[in-house]
Amino acid sequence: MLSKVMSFALSGLEGVPVTAETDINNGLPSYELVGLPDAAVKESRERVRSALKNSGRKFPLSKITVNLAPADIKKEGSAFDLAIAVGILKATEQLKADCGGVVFLGELALDGALRAVSGILPLLISAKAAGYKKFVIPAENAAEASYIEGIEVYAANNLTQAIDHLSGLNPLPAVPVRAYERGTKGEYKFDMAYVKGQATAKRALEVAVSGGHNILLIGPPGTGKTMLARCIPGIMPDMTFEEALEVTKIHSVAGILGSGGIVDVRPFRSPHHTATTVSMCGGGTRAVKPGEISLAHHGVLFLDEMPEYHRSTLEALRQPLEDGVITVTRSGGAVTFPANFMLCASMNPCPCGNYGSADRVCTCTPAAIRKYRSRVSGPLLDRIDIQVEVDSVKYDDLAAAALEESSAAVKRRVERAREIQRERFNSPMTNSDMGEKELKACCALDKECEDILRMSFESLKLSARARSRIIKVARTIADMAGSANIRPEHILEAVSYRKYDNMA
Amino acid sequence: MRGEDMGYTKEEKAMIWIDSFSPDYAKKARLLQAFRDPYAVAEQFFARSEEIGGIVGERVLEEMRASLEGGANELFSAYRSQNIVCVTCFSALYPDLLRAIENPPFVLYCKGDVSLLQERKFAVVGSRRTLANVLQRTERIAEELSRAIVIVSGLADGGDTAALSGALRGGKAISVLAFGFSHVYPESNRALLEKVIKNGLAVSEYVPSQPAMKYNFPARNRIIAGLSEGVLVVSGGEKSGTRITAGYAYDYGRDVFAFPYNIGEETGVCCNRLIKDYAKLTENSVDIASAFGINLTEKEPEPLTRTEELVLSHIGASPTHTSEIAAKTGMKEAELSPVLMLLCMKKRIVSCGGNRWGKVK
Repeated sequence: MLSKVMSFALSGLEGVPVTAETDINNGLPSYELVGLPDAAVKESRERVRSALKNSGRKFPLSKITVNLAPADIKKEGSAFDLAIAVGILKATEQLKADCGGVVFLGELALDGALRAVSGILPLLISAKAAGYKKFVIPAENAAEASYIEGIEVYAANNLTQAIDHLSGLNPLPAVPVRAYERGTKGEYKFDMAYVKGQATAKRALEVAVSGGHNILLIGPPGTGKTMLARCIPGIMPDMTFEEALEVTKIHSVAGILGSGGIVDVRPFRSPHHTATTVSMCGGGTRAVKPGEISLAHHGVLFLDEMPEYHRSTLEALRQPLEDGVITVTRSGGAVTFPANFMLCASMNPCPCGNYGSADRVCTCTPAAIRKYRSRVSGPLLDRIDIQVEVDSVKYDDLAAAALEESSAAVKRRVERAREIQRERFNSPMTNSDMGEKELKACCALDKECEDILRMSFESLKLSARARSRIIKVARTIADMAGSANIRPEHILEAVSYRKYDNMA
Repeated sequence: MRGEDMGYTKEEKAMIWIDSFSPDYAKKARLLQAFRDPYAVAEQFFARSEEIGGIVGERVLEEMRASLEGGANELFSAYRSQNIVCVTCFSALYPDLLRAIENPPFVLYCKGDVSLLQERKFAVVGSRRTLANVLQRTERIAEELSRAIVIVSGLADGGDTAALSGALRGGKAISVLAFGFSHVYPESNRALLEKVIKNGLAVSEYVPSQPAMKYNFPARNRIIAGLSEGVLVVSGGEKSGTRITAGYAYDYGRDVFAFPYNIGEETGVCCNRLIKDYAKLTENSVDIASAFGINLTEKEPEPLTRTEELVLSHIGASPTHTSEIAAKTGMKEAELSPVLMLLCMKKRIVSCGGNRWGKVK
């Protein structure tokens, strides 16, 4: 007898409907699985056989043919186990219920328990769009699925629960839909209040986050560059539901989702400098997995000691920095992942690290410093609007007297500045995304500002391509001050964030 | 030896012609000693070719013969097309101070403003390994001195580069090269050399085709010392070439100045030793100017606003941190940074790295 059961396969961030067709024929006992399965899918035979037996069902001693249709797409992973098991039960008439319109996802354990699979959220979203309403999934994935409205999700702990639910013997309750509460659950470990001193760097971080600018922290080793960077997610505006859903989808596909179900804190990714281009941008042999830049979507990508990264890896960031997405092409097909992140990089001022230090002496030759800095290419630096120095000086006494501001206070100001930008552009665009058109429309400079800008270029030896960067940052600073026009002091502050250009 | 008139006399032309064959100073000296006059070498070439060959060698003799038979005019048009002016020891332009040294170069190949050779000159030299704050000071001193006197230096990274770029900001600079004009060493200073040629003068005793050789640098240093009334050594380690320059200057009876360094500071070992021996300890441009009776005319500083004055009054000669300035003035750092940038542009303070600011005098 023949049965058909629905499941979904993952392709990038999209789900593709897959029908598990099972046919039982007379003949020598055998089990054929067709439809371009990979090793994990092929091995499902052993899991399904044991799971059925240990759930008190029979694995038929006949010629079994399972086809995962469409047969020309490669199938990966263990999420088809449940669909195949249900298909066999139906084909052998051990289960008589109608399973039409129900989508099955889940990996089987040998004792019949259901194990979590990755990518549940994007699969459910695609299935919902394709018109499917009912789902049976592993209980461990329930939290992740609970944020989608308009569908019935049944979370089973094991195969028996799923079968009893289908046969109506012991129906499961649908997973209740949860509403997304913006910004109430998100907790960040690092707070600006714990960073003593560093007022210049903190201010630069606030400007960077307010305008969505990328930032480069330059400072000797052990001055708190990493700690400052880790504070960034905490001062970024809370994620909207749409943003959170996008991030969750990516993290779900990557299989790094926590138990919370939805990612409601901004991601902070800090890949080590030995990271390869593929791990950074995404890839994989068949099914393409998102890379670090996609995992940092709507969050922060922190490159500690930027000059130590492979040149090719850094250069690969240029296009996604510009477009906010990355298209990864592999033999398995081309997949586009979102990659709209804020880049925060850190580096030492020179090879010995002591350039500009108060108490230690830099022993580097100018050529050595030039060589060290040339490891980061101009075009990449061009995409980093703000460059700021982090001090090596300890001002413990000063810091003790001054009351440090908390991240929450900074965040409130950032949100206000973002609000101004949202109104101006009528979209979630930030100042750093401005093109020539917006620059002309929103960043008119009066004569005084033009003069200051020209003077700073002449006396500080800035590169010509820094001009539009400076104006964009000045626009952000003006927004933070609530000023409709860019004033000379805004330009001057923006100029002061070109440290890299006028050092050495 | 006929052809286009380049403004050279026949002695000068002959000298340039002889100089183009052998980079060996001793051989040229012997040749001139034997003939008294460079023109005589060309005039009596065929008559006394055996004698000449004995001095310069067979290969060079053949080259000279071939060149002479061809008229030797290509040499001058080639130099002219490269904008190279040759100042020989027979020229009125040849600086007297240089003529006074033990073995003055026969020909100075020049690119740029040749009249600078007749101005008062002062050398500022430093090692490639020079501390960042010393570089800053070097640049400043060179800039201040250059308003009154032409600054002479090499073209190396570090100290020399700082001296030249400072001097070009304030006035004129002469860079003495250890190689011919067809080459640039270090490559990274190509743009700087262009600037020197445009706004000052580049000088070499080598024909354009001569590449940079290790042993040419000490020889070049004698020209730096020879051209100048005095030499300031800003940095130098145990084996630095700046010591050679200072040694020449001392031998030629010129004043030697040096920056003092902390004990154990490797990039300044040479300076401290010079001070111990004969150099004058130098901290600023006034120390040098007073020795030469030069008046350093200050450029009229741009007027400052009251806020700028206030901020400036809290910045010391040793670098002051932004937060310290903020605490003393009672301003927020965000308000402070525009003021600091303006002061920077008005050249009243400099960024010393690490968010610290130093007052310029």
